[in-house]
Amino acid sequence: MEGRPADDSQLIERAQRGDSAAYEEIVQRYQQIVFRTAYVITGSSADAEDAAQEGFVKAYRALDRFRSGADLRPWLLRIVANEARNRVRSSGRRHQLELRLTEGFRPGDAVPSPEAVAIAADERRRLLAMVNALSEEDRLVIASRYFLQLSGEETAAALGIAEGTVKSRLSRALARLKARVEEATHA
Amino acid sequence: MPDLEEQLTALSVAIDWPKTPSHLWRGVRRSRTEGLQLNRWALAAVAVLVIFGTLLAYTPSREAIAGWLNLHTTFLRTQSQPTPSPLPSGPLGERLGLGSPTTLDKAQSQVSWKIQIPAALGPPDEVYLKLPPTGPSGGEVTLVYGQRPDIRTSGLTGVSVLVTEARGKANETFFQKMLGPDATFEPVTVNGHPGYWIAGRPHMFAFTDSDGNIYTDTLRLATDTLIFDDNGTVVRLEGEMTRAQALQIGASAG
Repeated sequence: MEGRPADDSQLIERAQRGDSAAYEEIVQRYQQIVFRTAYVITGSSADAEDAAQEGFVKAYRALDRFRSGADLRPWLLRIVANEARNRVRSSGRRHQLELRLTEGFRPGDAVPSPEAVAIAADERRRLLAMVNALSEEDRLVIASRYFLQLSGEETAAALGIAEGTVKSRLSRALARLKARVEEATHA
Repeated sequence: MPDLEEQLTALSVAIDWPKTPSHLWRGVRRSRTEGLQLNRWALAAVAVLVIFGTLLAYTPSREAIAGWLNLHTTFLRTQSQPTPSPLPSGPLGERLGLGSPTTLDKAQSQVSWKIQIPAALGPPDEVYLKLPPTGPSGGEVTLVYGQRPDIRTSGLTGVSVLVTEARGKANETFFQKMLGPDATFEPVTVNGHPGYWIAGRPHMFAFTDSDGNIYTDTLRLATDTLIFDDNGTVVRLEGEMTRAQALQIGASAG
């Protein structure tokens, strides 16, 4: 077992006993997904950073209430997402989430022609622009599920809704996005 | 042409996310050490208060500030000793995350149900209202009671009983999932309404709110808790009470 990373339940148990190195490992392990989730909710990297940090502090203080055997990731996401929503609400300002594509992104390892690369990049940009233009509710559920790759349970935790609501909300959001894509294709 | 879901999934690796801060752990560690939450605005507010407090501590600057504010005030130095108390000052429920402080009348004007007030406890000392998005849909009202005869007051919060109310439905399945091995629940009846007596040290509580969403809440006092469903209003009593006391208080609600 030496050298093998500890699983979440081991880390939680150690952190609950006061082992700060174990909690540090939890923070390192989940800081990216936690920060990005907060970013999707706040639309601001500064607010996302504050929410992520505050969320990790609150989670640390609530460790003794963490139910043994439960999944750590949805629990953390719920705490941080609550923090992010509170931040948006209390500041009274809501930044429009504006996701962008990485410059020069090349999917896969094939070597397509320069024309094919340009067309694919253009399609991706158009699709992302359509997602950015959706209502906040639609954008949040699509970004959580597809861009952050959260599970249904995690999306529910991040958005503060029931898992069943995630399914119905996602289905409606996809239908609206599809209609816009088709409209643009036929235009 | 790949379908829409495949295209969206493929986009995930092409998103230009802002760089994840690498110093989150340092912030958490510092917060644990100092007991401060690292909120830039809170720190700024503390800094302003410290500066202002320091200025007020010195007679010349204090009088100058009074002059600027056009206050004709005499500052008196009192010799009385503060009452020793382990409790922090300020409203009882302020640190419990119950929402915004309000009054019974104002809370009543913002929620759809008639707020249940247990006569056995008398009027609440404080009232809080939590609305969406932090509260459940339809809102949540919490009545805070300080010292009450025959009920132990929490040494940490100064609260003896919390009564929390929201529109929704309590669900037995959630209890079983969330209570953990240290807590037990028992079906009871309060004024003819179905309810549960949760003994042990439960920390979390979940119910289905009026929009059908599952709302998870922390049980602030982590004590034995009585929950009952008053015609679609989930009422929760937390406090160091016996089962009989809680049932009697619950039955006096109206």
